[in-house]
Amino acid sequence: MSQSNPHTNPIDNAELAESGSPEESGESPRSGFDRLILRFGRGAAWLAFIAMAISVYEVFMRYGLDSPTSWVHESVVMLVATLFALGGPVAMAGNRHIRVRVLYDHVGPRLRRWLDLLNDTITLGFCLMMSYAAYVMFWNSSHNPMGEWSLERSGTSWNPPFPALVKGIILLALAIMTIQTVIHLVQSLRTCFAASHSPEDHA
Amino acid sequence: ADYEWKFQASETAGEPSFEIKQEWAKKIGKMTDGRVEIEVMPINSVVGPTETLEAVSAGILQGHMTDPSYFSGQNPAFGMMGNLVGAWNDPSNFLTFMKHAGGEELYNELVEPYGVHLISAGTFPLESIPSTVPIKTLDDFKGLKIRAPQGMVYNIFERIGASPVNLPGSEVYTSLEKGVIDAADSTVLSNNDAMGLHTFAPYPLYPGFHSMPMIAVSINKKIWDKLPDDLQTTLKVAFDAMSYDLIARLQKQDIDTLQKLKDNPKVHPIDLPAAERRKFREAAEKEWKVWAAKNEMCQKVYDAATSFLRSRNLL
Amino acid sequence: MDIADGTLLLIGAIFTLLITGLPLAFITGLVALVFAFGWFGAMSLPLVTSRVYGFVTEYSLVAVPMFVFMASLLDRSGIARDLFNAMRVFAGRLPGGVAIQTVVVAFFLAALSGIIGGEIVLLGILALPQMLRLGYDRHLSIGVVCAGGSLGTMMPPSIVLIIYGLIASVSIADLFTAAVTPALLLMGSYVAYVLVRCLRNPELGPPLTDEDRQESFSSRGQALKAIVVPGLIAGMVLGSIYGGVASVTEAAAMGVFGVLVAMLLRGEFNLPNLHTSLNQTMTTCGMIIWIGIGAAALVGVYNLMGGNDFIADLILGFDVAPIVIMLIMMAILLVLGMFLDWIGVAMLTLPIFVPIVEQLGYSPIWFGILFAVNMQVSFLSPPFGPAAFYLKGVAPAGISLKDIFVSLLPFVAIQLCVLTALLLWPSLAMWPV
Ligand code: NA
Ligand code: NA
Repeated sequence: MSQSNPHTNPIDNAELAESGSPEESGESPRSGFDRLILRFGRGAAWLAFIAMAISVYEVFMRYGLDSPTSWVHESVVMLVATLFALGGPVAMAGNRHIRVRVLYDHVGPRLRRWLDLLNDTITLGFCLMMSYAAYVMFWNSSHNPMGEWSLERSGTSWNPPFPALVKGIILLALAIMTIQTVIHLVQSLRTCFAASHSPEDHA
Repeated sequence: ADYEWKFQASETAGEPSFEIKQEWAKKIGKMTDGRVEIEVMPINSVVGPTETLEAVSAGILQGHMTDPSYFSGQNPAFGMMGNLVGAWNDPSNFLTFMKHAGGEELYNELVEPYGVHLISAGTFPLESIPSTVPIKTLDDFKGLKIRAPQGMVYNIFERIGASPVNLPGSEVYTSLEKGVIDAADSTVLSNNDAMGLHTFAPYPLYPGFHSMPMIAVSINKKIWDKLPDDLQTTLKVAFDAMSYDLIARLQKQDIDTLQKLKDNPKVHPIDLPAAERRKFREAAEKEWKVWAAKNEMCQKVYDAATSFLRSRNLL
Repeated sequence: MDIADGTLLLIGAIFTLLITGLPLAFITGLVALVFAFGWFGAMSLPLVTSRVYGFVTEYSLVAVPMFVFMASLLDRSGIARDLFNAMRVFAGRLPGGVAIQTVVVAFFLAALSGIIGGEIVLLGILALPQMLRLGYDRHLSIGVVCAGGSLGTMMPPSIVLIIYGLIASVSIADLFTAAVTPALLLMGSYVAYVLVRCLRNPELGPPLTDEDRQESFSSRGQALKAIVVPGLIAGMVLGSIYGGVASVTEAAAMGVFGVLVAMLLRGEFNLPNLHTSLNQTMTTCGMIIWIGIGAAALVGVYNLMGGNDFIADLILGFDVAPIVIMLIMMAILLVLGMFLDWIGVAMLTLPIFVPIVEQLGYSPIWFGILFAVNMQVSFLSPPFGPAAFYLKGVAPAGISLKDIFVSLLPFVAIQLCVLTALLLWPSLAMWPV
């Protein structure tokens, strides 16, 4: 074999390169609700495009026409914050959150089911506590001290109610994640239950 | 200690004013014979700067020493109390207003419904404006791309013909260096110099005239109300003394920096003439009026501040 | 329970949860919630979401989706493939040539931006599949992408140095000046490492053959043509920063715009491509940011628990020579860097460390550079190596997190050598200041 031949590389390397980006070949959504969230995420992804477009507009207005806008920077931060927050449930729906698989990959299917159940339970605890905290945060930013509805604003010259909105979106993202996790937990429980009643445990 | 409190400040740990705040917290420990122990924490150490009001109110933090402008989004009156842009030509005017002309009582009327009590108001020396071009009159602001963050300062710069650019503090350095902006609403002269801004923005405006943020030294109201009289008095006296100490020491730093800059042939500090400063204050007052109309509390702040300024022949 | 036990319990909890395979994004956040609840009660829980709010509205992170978007678009156009084919032609018969060029490209990317994440995602989407396609060794390619991609926070304009400058109140200009040599040193060491390994075993980075040349470009002239477009895009981004047209963050958006225009001109633009790229941006950001969210929350809770005091006492408790204290601080940074992202480490330690450094009579500028190199290590070191996570998010599906960390170990070793050199010879960084 000529050592300068590029095609001497191990085949798995070529396969690897062709195996595509993770979302094309990654794990599939675990429930119908997850599929719905993924579709919703595809719409929300356009926020990144809008953020890019208005940033370019600001640069053009400021450098080209010497008239910077008062609204672009705040809007970009708000759009990107929304993208980040909603990215949580979307990544969850696509089963794309990164995990350390050292133990997971080295145990049998039975223990793996229990690990799934454990992780879904812990995740539910996380989502519930976070949702509660986000609810308190959102309530405070949408009400004044007298308890009347009043949205927290940015306090800038333009003064949009973005802080209250972003806090509301964080709550929304966490609420969605809670629902996703409840469904996952029910699925895991069912699998564990079904497996413990089935005679063959080595699928 | 009977009372162990965490107060979040609005500065990073390296800023001189942060060290002064820490020093005074230690002094309070001695004054109270160890009954009160206050730990001053830098910005962002527990929550973000816009979130400390809520954290103190909820009792997560026991107090804060911060610029109330951060809470403008909750009520614009915080912005007016926190930094009435252009109003003060000297920190001592502002402290007199706060401590002897009803300012602190007014602030407490605003903040107590949030479950937070103002112990004492402090402030910084007036901020300087680092600029890449000479600004000798108010007309030189025309078309100037100047960084302006939250609050009314943006609109006031607009009123004098500048093109304010809304950038976060972390982008001031590179934007000024590369020429994205011509000038910036940044911090006091000595801090700007420590950052290295004057190497490419050699025309700082000093003494400043536009921005002088308040430091609201506040505590959770429930904690305050339950404190014995002697401790309330000690805290009030100590933090009042801190206000004056802070000003004196920071001003000294600014003046030392100014001397150093004057000796540097590449830097040209500019002192804007009194007539130009008055023009700026007049433009600013128009904006205060707009803010005054936002709610009842804003109107009260406007009335109190303008009548104080008129009584001193500053308006 | 005192803070020392609390700290141990906290680290133990993180490790235990890591092993169970819980998504990283939830581990630090969950630990933050549990400790907030346990230490201060339910009323302190909103502290955690308050940090989430602070994190997602962080202006310097705006560049992250822009870089991911740009990378995804480049990946879907033929621009990336052409670029790497051309690079291969230029690399000629030099073994490992494309990997070396990738390091150099990464270095230029580093001069464009100051954040971590964007550059790694960009290189992970573009360079990694191409290097694999060209038969390069998997581990070497992964290492080059992550180590090279991390350089953005060393090279000016670096957000790590800006934040350090703001926290420590030192000249950002001096920090930038001092950072250039160490950044070059890191890049040079990576290049040298690739070169040595590929010269000893050319199969790790097979050079171009004549038949390849037929396949890709028949001449250097044609190859040159292929790099005109990416060159123009890079010029547009660099030009808009250094020409004072756009701020560092806006320049990333300008880059996306440039790629879109290039795709239009090349006739490669279509709506499905745009849509897929946006979708990838959304998911990748969701993954990346939610890991940071947890760490940000944890720092707030730990500080409130008195973690900052604990660390300060830990250091000042030793009665040893100043240089040993420096080494202890470096060790603490390295350990924290294993668990937290750099913003977390900076907020937790710098308020404590910088005054100590000044007290000991050392230059805070030098310490800033040491900090930045230390953070380079933290990007690559397991178990929380952001660079590895960012790459995992976009790497071909067959590459596991373990593969990535294994690939990074030699590069971590290189970074530690550079760190040691800077500790021993401060003038390596400080000579131009
Ligand atoms: Na950089
Ligand atoms: Na790490």
